[in-house]
Amino acid sequence: MQTIQLEKQYALRLQPISLKSRPEETVVAAVDTSSMKIGETDTGVLIAVRGANVWKQRSYRYLRLGPFIFHVTEENRKEVYNTLQNAYFNLKHEPKHQSSPSLLQMQTRIASLLEKWLQKMLSETLSNGLILFDGSLTSGTADAPTQRITEILSAAREGGNVVLAFAKMTRLSLNGHRITDLPSKHKPPYLLQMAGIKPKPPLSFLGDVYVARLAKGSYSFRLDIDKETPSERRIKAVEKLLGNDVVSQGYPETLRLAHIFCTFTANEVIAMQHFIARRYGLRIVNRPDMHRLLFGPFGKGES
Amino acid sequence: MKLYKKDGNIVQILSFPNESVEKGDYLLIEEINAARALIVQIIEVQFANIPGIFEELLRSYPDGGELLRGEDFDPLEIAPHITYIQDARLLICKIRATVENANLSPNSSWLPMRSQSTITKLSISTLFKLARMEGNLPVILGGTKESSLLTIDASSLDGRLNIVTGKKETGKSHLSKLLMLNLIKYGATVVVFDLNGEYTGLGLTSDGKRNAYYDKIHVLTPARNFKVALIQLHLHILLSVLVHALHLPGASAREFRNVWQFLKEKGNLSLRELGEAIRSWRCNQHVRDALFSRYYALVNSGFFTDNVAEAMLLEECLFKAREKGGAVVINLRNTSSVDRRMVVEYILGKLVELLTNWKLKAVFLFAEEAHLYLRETYWDDIVTRMRHFGIFTTFVTNQPDTIRENIYRQADNIFLFNFTNEHDLETVSRASRVDAETVKSIARDLPPHYCLVLGKAVKDFPMVVKVKSLDVKTMGETRLFFKDMN
Repeated sequence: MQTIQLEKQYALRLQPISLKSRPEETVVAAVDTSSMKIGETDTGVLIAVRGANVWKQRSYRYLRLGPFIFHVTEENRKEVYNTLQNAYFNLKHEPKHQSSPSLLQMQTRIASLLEKWLQKMLSETLSNGLILFDGSLTSGTADAPTQRITEILSAAREGGNVVLAFAKMTRLSLNGHRITDLPSKHKPPYLLQMAGIKPKPPLSFLGDVYVARLAKGSYSFRLDIDKETPSERRIKAVEKLLGNDVVSQGYPETLRLAHIFCTFTANEVIAMQHFIARRYGLRIVNRPDMHRLLFGPFGKGES
Repeated sequence: MKLYKKDGNIVQILSFPNESVEKGDYLLIEEINAARALIVQIIEVQFANIPGIFEELLRSYPDGGELLRGEDFDPLEIAPHITYIQDARLLICKIRATVENANLSPNSSWLPMRSQSTITKLSISTLFKLARMEGNLPVILGGTKESSLLTIDASSLDGRLNIVTGKKETGKSHLSKLLMLNLIKYGATVVVFDLNGEYTGLGLTSDGKRNAYYDKIHVLTPARNFKVALIQLHLHILLSVLVHALHLPGASAREFRNVWQFLKEKGNLSLRELGEAIRSWRCNQHVRDALFSRYYALVNSGFFTDNVAEAMLLEECLFKAREKGGAVVINLRNTSSVDRRMVVEYILGKLVELLTNWKLKAVFLFAEEAHLYLRETYWDDIVTRMRHFGIFTTFVTNQPDTIRENIYRQADNIFLFNFTNEHDLETVSRASRVDAETVKSIARDLPPHYCLVLGKAVKDFPMVVKVKSLDVKTMGETRLFFKDMN
């Protein structure tokens, strides 16, 4: 994993922003998706994706979409990807120079399409709420085109929502330490703002980056908050999150549940393989693990 | 169903929710190319160890133990497949036989191919045909789960040692009565040690009318309609009673023998004369005291009489039963433990005598809770010596640990009702005709009136049967304090 080393002058604002829980009733909604390669066939790969929306308004509710199973081959990968992209997003304003993903990339790219579509739907339908995304608000990648993320954030703002993106892992580091590992004597909950970070093009940060430590004795997470949201509102949004959601281990429960609900269990993978074999008669092939084959007990496998 | 594993004579089979199989069912694992098949019986049903189940269950209850509400949009309808996999079961089966050229062998060494095997449920009727369970003396025990009848042949009880056991009120006595009546129907002579007077109404229907067995059931109640005159007794039988039931020491027994010979020679064998003779006999005072105490025990039992006309001859009943079949029910309900032992000693001695002289061909003996009246040495006698005389015993008990281990080892048939107690199951599982896993697994889940039949009667294919009802008068019911208040 590539580490982005911050320059010292752009370092963390070492004065932490203290947070207070605001119990003003606010809907908290989260989106997450999961994908899995459930097997290989003679001609391609079988990919399953599933997305989940979880929201909290007094109690937790969920909407789970999928699993959607795709048999992607070299022949159909372009068609599959373009069809999904056209179905999910209006592509009139998006640049068309992007090539379709390779067979290996298809799993994450399809999952990403579903995730962005779910984020868009939530941003357009929820009002005056808190929208939690899994990951960062970094754009400019094939998975997260700037235009698409900008539209999502804009739709959310129009509905009076604030987007908070929690990343479990970050590549941002200061003095050789990940920003989430930096020590602080301040009493949680608090935020540490990172100012003036400029990623290398074509990447761009559509959110301001914070280190969020939301509960005592818990982990810190990278938190991206929509840049266009006024600073005061951002802090208020995080405080509303503390007042409306369970934040155990420093991570919002709504987002945790969204993750849990979309993740595939081994049992589900077997069930999907069963479904594919029954419904479509597709034969899943077990490709030999070349590492094991060549190196025996010294081969650690490809993953 | 799919063959998953084989370990020794245990086979594990993966079964899916749409396949209706239960503990106790028989399955046929066929391999077409091999022209062989395995007959296995399900002894345990478990959830298949599907990876990810734990996560699946945890995911259903993430909100403080309450089920999270929500909607699933599942366009491909994968959910039924998930539950299908989730509910997959693992059948633990015991190999009972291998079928080859329509012949059964108890061999379990053959391993069918996993990929080429087909597994189907084996109906009881087909199993019966394969096992050639047929005979001229059918005894219908009841219905199997498949609504077919479980029929054994009465000859499978002939010359055999049987045990009927299970916890209270599960139907042991009911099955014993069923077996008895069927034996009588085929002309057998049956003797029952009836501890609670449960068998005394066998000749009557449930509404008190006479049934087909009325003339064949002879109920003998000691000291009432069943008495013995000394003159009818053989010395060795009375000595057995004195030594084994009344614990007369050896020296005193020798003296008693002399007294008896003396009275016999004089032609004065009566209770009164016996008392007089002991009083006047020249012997050690301790011996006299010992003889006197036993003498009074005999007198006080009311079982012995001087009135020959009053003496009910056991032989008469047995001979009647010998002609057309019948049962002599020894009603021990209100008999004290000492008297019970005397009566049993007398009867067993008498039976041996009659059988030795070929006055009787064979006797089927039903002994309820035998530990309450059978002396220690008789247990071994019954499985070894008495069997050769022609006494074929069926022990009926709800306390399996009261029957000795060697009896279990030599039992030919076991009719096992429900037991939940581990210790009881452990005891019964010592029987050589069945494996411990089968006993423990199946017997624990048997509902009342369901019986697991093990042994020769079912050609060593353990079968679960719901014992059929009998239209006979129920006797020996438990006396209840609140009965009339409800």
